[in-house]
Amino acid sequence: MEMRMYFMLIRASIKSRLQYKFNFIFSMLMAMLLNVSEFLMIAFVLLKFNSIQGWSIYEVGYLYSVILLSKTLYRTFASDVHHLEKYLVSGDLDSFFIRPIPILLTLMSQNFFLLIGELLQGTFIILICIQHFHSIGQVDLWIIPITILIILAGSIILFSIGLATSTLGFWLTRVEMLQNLTEDAAMNAVRYPLSLYPNWLKGIFLTILPLGFINYLPALYILKQDVGIWIIGATIMVACLCLWLSLRFWKIGLSRYQSTGS
Amino acid sequence: MIEARQIQKQFKIPVVKKGRFSGIRTLFSREYIIKEAVKEISFTIKEGDFVGYIGPNGAGKSTTIKMLTGILHPTQGEVKIMGLNPHKERRKVVRHLGVVFGQRTQLWWDLPVIDSYDILTVMYKLDKKETEKRLSQLTELLGLHEFIHTPVRKLSLGQRMRADIAASLLHDPEILFFDEPTIGLDVIAKKKIRGLLKTLNKEMKKTVLLTTHDMDDIEQLCEKVIVINDGQIVYNDSIPQLRNDIGLPTIMKVSFVGDFQTPTIHHNMIQIIERTNSTITIQYNRHQMKAMDVLNMMQNWGEIEDIHMDEPQLEEMIQEIYQTPEASKESLVVS
Amino acid sequence: MLFAMLAKKNYARNLQYRSSHLVHNVASFIFGFVYVSIWIGIGESNSLGEYGVKGMITYVAFNQACLWLTLFITNSLGMEQSVRTGQISLDLMRPVHLFYHLMSKEWGQIFYQFVYKFLPIYFIYFFLFSLQVPQQFSTYFWTAIALILAGYICICINYLIGVVSLWTTESKWLFWVNYAFSMLLSGFFIPVEWLPGVFYQLSMYSPYPYIQYYVTRIYLGYESYSVLLGSVAWCIFFTVLCLAATSIMRKKLEVQGG
Repeated sequence: MEMRMYFMLIRASIKSRLQYKFNFIFSMLMAMLLNVSEFLMIAFVLLKFNSIQGWSIYEVGYLYSVILLSKTLYRTFASDVHHLEKYLVSGDLDSFFIRPIPILLTLMSQNFFLLIGELLQGTFIILICIQHFHSIGQVDLWIIPITILIILAGSIILFSIGLATSTLGFWLTRVEMLQNLTEDAAMNAVRYPLSLYPNWLKGIFLTILPLGFINYLPALYILKQDVGIWIIGATIMVACLCLWLSLRFWKIGLSRYQSTGS
Repeated sequence: MIEARQIQKQFKIPVVKKGRFSGIRTLFSREYIIKEAVKEISFTIKEGDFVGYIGPNGAGKSTTIKMLTGILHPTQGEVKIMGLNPHKERRKVVRHLGVVFGQRTQLWWDLPVIDSYDILTVMYKLDKKETEKRLSQLTELLGLHEFIHTPVRKLSLGQRMRADIAASLLHDPEILFFDEPTIGLDVIAKKKIRGLLKTLNKEMKKTVLLTTHDMDDIEQLCEKVIVINDGQIVYNDSIPQLRNDIGLPTIMKVSFVGDFQTPTIHHNMIQIIERTNSTITIQYNRHQMKAMDVLNMMQNWGEIEDIHMDEPQLEEMIQEIYQTPEASKESLVVS
Repeated sequence: MLFAMLAKKNYARNLQYRSSHLVHNVASFIFGFVYVSIWIGIGESNSLGEYGVKGMITYVAFNQACLWLTLFITNSLGMEQSVRTGQISLDLMRPVHLFYHLMSKEWGQIFYQFVYKFLPIYFIYFFLFSLQVPQQFSTYFWTAIALILAGYICICINYLIGVVSLWTTESKWLFWVNYAFSMLLSGFFIPVEWLPGVFYQLSMYSPYPYIQYYVTRIYLGYESYSVLLGSVAWCIFFTVLCLAATSIMRKKLEVQGG
């Protein structure tokens, strides 16, 4: 029932978006260009030097596209969780309270935006990488379902981090700069093997911002066979734990809501 | 229907520090100014009532409404809507509520009006057939057919208001909250909206709570009025009673044919405000004297040509209430 | 002096947000730290040409701090917003040239970012990676000149982006195009000479190397100040473009009646 409601709201959101076709297409192209140039930046380095600490261009490509696809799912299906600040500042969150559905669900369905560029780019790169691993016998076809699984778990972890950061807005109001740290900077960092970083930074990505569980640790099993399959289970557990914690935190934040005009 | 029992709402506002690293110190500081937006108020609204809820800006009006709808959590006290707590059982309570905010729409901005109604039908899990019937009723009542297929962003303010009111009625709620529904409307649109609200209350038997700055709204619609000032209820009774309680003077302007004479000894219940060659303006209190008596008396002063009477306006009466001495609004508490 | 006044006001306006900018600095620091770590990782098994690992660390760290003086300035100098609100016609009516007015303001912003972003971020890298610093005073002098010219080029580019918004109302996309190109072609992460052929050519014919690459090379002592002639040429080119764009814009607004 809740799901049906959510998709109904998403449909309304898409219909609204399509009223501004020019903007829709343009922002899509822009996002694509940005992502491509970001990827090229890494690709150029790897083309020149072949590998980073034993990680080939394909392996880094795999790390990159898993995190990109997770982010795509998160931002597509929960777009405005990232933009809660806007609703807090304008007081528009008020009107979500008078509807008989969960407030978070309403928020998630606002301004639905299918990140087609990211989706295509991520899928394209990951398929090339997987094809390469398969052709040199590095992996078998089990990689496909496992990859899908970690992308899903990854999107939940990213969603939880995004939600928790936004929820801080109930206390701080302005969280944009903080999001820059917990979302953008963190996602940028885990595109590369965590082994590059000193322990304190590695520690952060395995604990408070557990992005290491999305791509790096599973890749150690899938690509390197350095760890056992249990790491996939650990990723799923971490995703569940993050989701639970962030939802609890969201509830606390909501009851702290002061609305504007205060 | 609606019960507020000794509700209070305090906002904690961090004290902004000055000087070096002020921003960081503010962030980690535990010093707050406690702003008491609502200081313990209680009231009950019965089924079928049409109540006006008024007060100057910043008096705590919207804070109260937000507590009644479950948007804000009272610091103290309890709200009951049809016996339910709007904060704990928000999703149940809102099914009985229709809420309209004059300043912002709850419709889907970029979509045709009808789409919003379709979404709401699913959202409130309403029976399709019944909703269709209600919607055609509302269409007639509110004249929705003119713009039901137009995107909300292209509606005029008056049309948008009507569309919003219809949206608030779609799930057939027992209680309606209207927050400044006539704000920014022109005279004709205002009149239309008022007519509507009256019908909702009288014919559809809805309980209505209305906040507004427009005293004409109150005068023409409400049976009862609750006045809040500085976070406290300063008046809660019917409007005729309000007229009696405040007892503002009535003003009478009389013009005479030719000369007239006022008696040297003044009647102590009549005050002369202004005097010209042929007219005189006096004020008196209706509780103490009847208009007929005043006229009878003045006939002795000269030959009356014309009279003009000014009853005290509701606006002035409310102002009188607002001007009660204010306690200090903020107190510094270090916690 | 108007220039100093406008710059000072904008500097002071920014001071209010110092603490939230602090969080931003941490994020920016992490970004740069990641890029440095990547080069350290690559350097473990590869030679990094004339730079060496040590040089490459300085290269990336300095570039990351420089971003706050070049790429991260105000989007379209705020023109996009003033076009949307209609403020732009009022701004054009002022007795000062619009370009001069906005440029002066932006220098205040850049100076603020130099003090509260560039310096703290670079200081942390300096201690963390024990960076080498130039020994000669002249190097600092020419680096400063290079940075000022780079900042000026970026101001011009953003001004032109703002002018375009008068026709398209939205010019965010142009800002991002500029962003994407400068990420690839300015050499802030990978020295321009290591770009694949086509991109290297593209970069050489664009102003982008002058806003990051050459500045850092001068700082590291790999380049003599004569390369600044290129910066000056680009500055002149952009100034002419900005002045021409303003007069076209003025005509358009007159036709529209403001």
